[in-house]
Amino acid sequence: MSLTAIFLQQLANGLILGSFYALVALGYSMVYGVIKLLNFAHGDLYMVGAFAGFGSLALFSGWLGAGWAGIVPSILLSMLAVGLLGVLIDRVAYRPLRDAPKLSVLITALAVSMVLENTVLAATGGQFTAFSTDLGFAGIDLGLVHVTYTQMVLVGTSVVLMVVLELFVSRTRYGRAMRAIAIDQDACRLMGIDVNRTIALTFFIGSALAAASGVLAGVYYGSINFFMGFLIGLKAFTAAVIGGIGNIPGAMLGGLLLGLLEAFGTQIPGIGGQWKDVFVFAFLILFLVFRPTGLLGKPEVERM
Amino acid sequence: MSTAIAARAARSPRGMVLSAVLILAALAIPLFANGYALEVLSEAWFYVLLCLGLNIVVGFAGLLDLGYAAFFAVGAYTAGLVTLKLGLSFWFSLPLAVIAASIAGVIIGGPTLRLRSDYLAIVTLGFGEMVRIAVRNLAVTGGASGLVGISRPYLFGYKLDTIGSYYYIFLALALLAVAASHRLENSRIGRAWKYVRSDEDAARAMGINHAAVKLSAYMLGAIFASIGGCFYAAKMTAIAPETFNFNQSLLILLGVVLGGRGKIPGVMLGAIVVVVAPEVFRDIGSMRMLVFALSLLLIMLLRPAGIWPERWRWG
Amino acid sequence: MTIGTTKRVVRTGGVAAAVVALAMGLGVAGTMPAQAATIQIGAQVPTSGSEAPYGIDMLNAIRMAADQINAKGGVLGDKISIVPGDSACDPQAAVNAASKLVSQGVTGVVGGYCSGATLPTLKIYGDAHVPFVITASNSTALIGANPGNAFMVNSTGYDQVKTAVDLFKAKGIKTIAIINEGDAYSADLARLTRAAWEKMGDKVVDYEVVSKGEQDFSAVVTKIRSAKPDAVFWTAYYADGALLLKQLRQGGYSGMIALGDGSNSSKLFQLAGAAANGVFCFSNPTANFLPSAKTFTADYRKQFHQAPGPYSTLSYDGMMLMAHAIQVAGSTDKAKIIAALKSTNGFKGVAGPITFTPKNTLARSNFVVLQGAGGKWTLYTGPGAPKMP
Repeated sequence: MSLTAIFLQQLANGLILGSFYALVALGYSMVYGVIKLLNFAHGDLYMVGAFAGFGSLALFSGWLGAGWAGIVPSILLSMLAVGLLGVLIDRVAYRPLRDAPKLSVLITALAVSMVLENTVLAATGGQFTAFSTDLGFAGIDLGLVHVTYTQMVLVGTSVVLMVVLELFVSRTRYGRAMRAIAIDQDACRLMGIDVNRTIALTFFIGSALAAASGVLAGVYYGSINFFMGFLIGLKAFTAAVIGGIGNIPGAMLGGLLLGLLEAFGTQIPGIGGQWKDVFVFAFLILFLVFRPTGLLGKPEVERM
Repeated sequence: MSTAIAARAARSPRGMVLSAVLILAALAIPLFANGYALEVLSEAWFYVLLCLGLNIVVGFAGLLDLGYAAFFAVGAYTAGLVTLKLGLSFWFSLPLAVIAASIAGVIIGGPTLRLRSDYLAIVTLGFGEMVRIAVRNLAVTGGASGLVGISRPYLFGYKLDTIGSYYYIFLALALLAVAASHRLENSRIGRAWKYVRSDEDAARAMGINHAAVKLSAYMLGAIFASIGGCFYAAKMTAIAPETFNFNQSLLILLGVVLGGRGKIPGVMLGAIVVVVAPEVFRDIGSMRMLVFALSLLLIMLLRPAGIWPERWRWG
Repeated sequence: MTIGTTKRVVRTGGVAAAVVALAMGLGVAGTMPAQAATIQIGAQVPTSGSEAPYGIDMLNAIRMAADQINAKGGVLGDKISIVPGDSACDPQAAVNAASKLVSQGVTGVVGGYCSGATLPTLKIYGDAHVPFVITASNSTALIGANPGNAFMVNSTGYDQVKTAVDLFKAKGIKTIAIINEGDAYSADLARLTRAAWEKMGDKVVDYEVVSKGEQDFSAVVTKIRSAKPDAVFWTAYYADGALLLKQLRQGGYSGMIALGDGSNSSKLFQLAGAAANGVFCFSNPTANFLPSAKTFTADYRKQFHQAPGPYSTLSYDGMMLMAHAIQVAGSTDKAKIIAALKSTNGFKGVAGPITFTPKNTLARSNFVVLQGAGGKWTLYTGPGAPKMP
């Protein structure tokens, strides 16, 4: 492989990996932006989404096949199911703690994450499940790099979802309500905004996004398991912070940047894969020291 | 748990008697308990030490730390390297671990002082992961297999080789940690931590050097964990990078927040619960972590500030 | 009494009750008497955490062995009951599990997955003189730390490295890339292979560590392709290995791929599909060519509705060996069982005959080379294959 080919291939690798990070980071960032909660269970919703998609595909593939015709409705069904699960989690676990200290809610989120993980562990016996589809390896050759249709759909989906989400938050009444809640919940109540319903909506959208990326990950990688949300949750959290947590285009940017950083970090001779994560976290720390609000975050005065 | 009550009771004369009785009870446990119970209780005392250390950072100073296991690793690896690579007595590792942990505390504390709390979470998490990956990749720390064959130390000519001896060691460390936490909480620096915690701007206006105050919290917290780490290495005789992963940091934080951060007996209770509860559920088999997670959720919903909270209102 | 105080009382009461229940639970759990009229055997495997899939594979096999023994009337007229001890692949959790098993009075222990978690338990079983058959921890550190009551039925890393290097040499391989997952087992195998390979004057052109649970290996694949190795050696487990080899093939790598024994599972074919064809795997002789293994696989599928995992066969053998030793000892006296294990000579396990060296490791390597073909493993007998036992 020529140097150019390596460069282009790693660029493609980074963008695809980054799209996954971005999709998960979007939901993370959105929930954080509205209620200032680091939803540790977000990565696990991605995992549950993958399993829900797997189940739906098994249902649909009988008459729609295991190609895109079967996958698209599976994604939608999984988004709906996990979206509702997100609302349920908010209602049961987070809403009673709306005025509780931040750290308590954080620990509650951890507990929810453990509950989801261990429930799926018990249900699947911990087995890795093969997510088989009819998607081939067909694609187009862009000069030196082969890009499959699956990869294009993947990157396309995350860009479209990001744009839709950004428009939703900035242009609609609901979006405005969300932004208002982020600033002052009490004032929102006085102005007649149904705070709890808006937050539920936020959870629905965030969780549905996680589910979408989970199903796409299952389709793309072909294997799902109860533990798959842990690492990506961590990475998405990092991506959201790099981009400026609470900021939607920031989450996208952070995700892509993290993907590229990992791809090119792996290629560095002598350092390579084994120091890749050190490299990523060191970069993150330096980044935060010199630009503490992330790439697109607004400076904010915090009072604990 | 007994010493938790003892610690609170120790403030009144009647309490002194009560706490003495409880400590005596804790001392007497090895006389009748079996190996398993001692193993679990030693771990519980060990977590009391770790959780009280983290409580300085999270509880007293109000700083979030998701990478506390790194300091625990620093202590364990110092003990391992001192005994295996340098061939020195285990007891040399204690002062070295304190120095190493202080340096690590400054490295992590330094750049994070200006950050807001959520970013603090990710930076400390990143630091914890970096330490774990570094010891996994370096040859001197034994790579992924870790260090094996750490020799057991002698104390007054008596070899610390049984679970009973480690029970007493960890009990002693836990009691020392309680005493140290009490002294720190009621000292000048302890008041400064709490001032910074409740209102950093006001604290600065009153002439408190907030950077030094936060840094000292990180350093002291790190020292608690590193001392614990040394004895952990001696007890286990083998250490591996995976012990110091993100879940370990979370577990310690869990103990602090579950029990009631900032409240010494509460934190002790939390530490004991995170160790003992999964063991109680052991007989359920593979469902035990699920049951543990559900009970955790329930406790947090009923008592958001912890089982035994500090009176101060957390916001 | 106002509503507020009622709530507070209920809450405080609830929490107090929960804490008391916890404390009492430990007391009860710790002192529960052994059930009478059965022989209790501990199964020290991870059933929680990221290693649970492998641990559950092992526990299933141990249970199946016990069921089969019990169906034939048990050992010495007593039934065997399996007591699981969740090691969670963590040293502290493993120590707790081990001391609990000892306190419950188990006659012997089978299992031990994750060398790092198995290591500190050796002393606990040693002090209690409990016989311990280790079925899936092959770190060389275990040999020195063994107080004499533990027996390893899995071959050590050295044996596997020799098998791998022989195969590479016979295939005319000049340069290799080694990838591991950063855990004790796969990193050890990778390190030993690299040392053996470089000692022969050949080159390791790429040496990678990936994070456990990572799904995207595209960057590593591109790096491997740019280093142009003749062969790629994955030293870790099947679940992530399946993804890696699929992505290697999709990324355009067409050279030889070899997998360590942790990847020996027919689940690899479910997860990797056609990409697994032609891939080599070093393994204990578990595949479909031994009559006993055939029955084992069929029984396992029937009982658990899935294919056995990489350490299922050894765990099954471990349990069978333990039962055999109890039979030979003629009693549940632990010292007699240890002596019986020590004198094991050519015990017919599904994975090959078992005889121990003076250090309680397997007397001879039973590694074979398998090759993926048509969606299953077949025995490779071409150039570089080890001589069959």
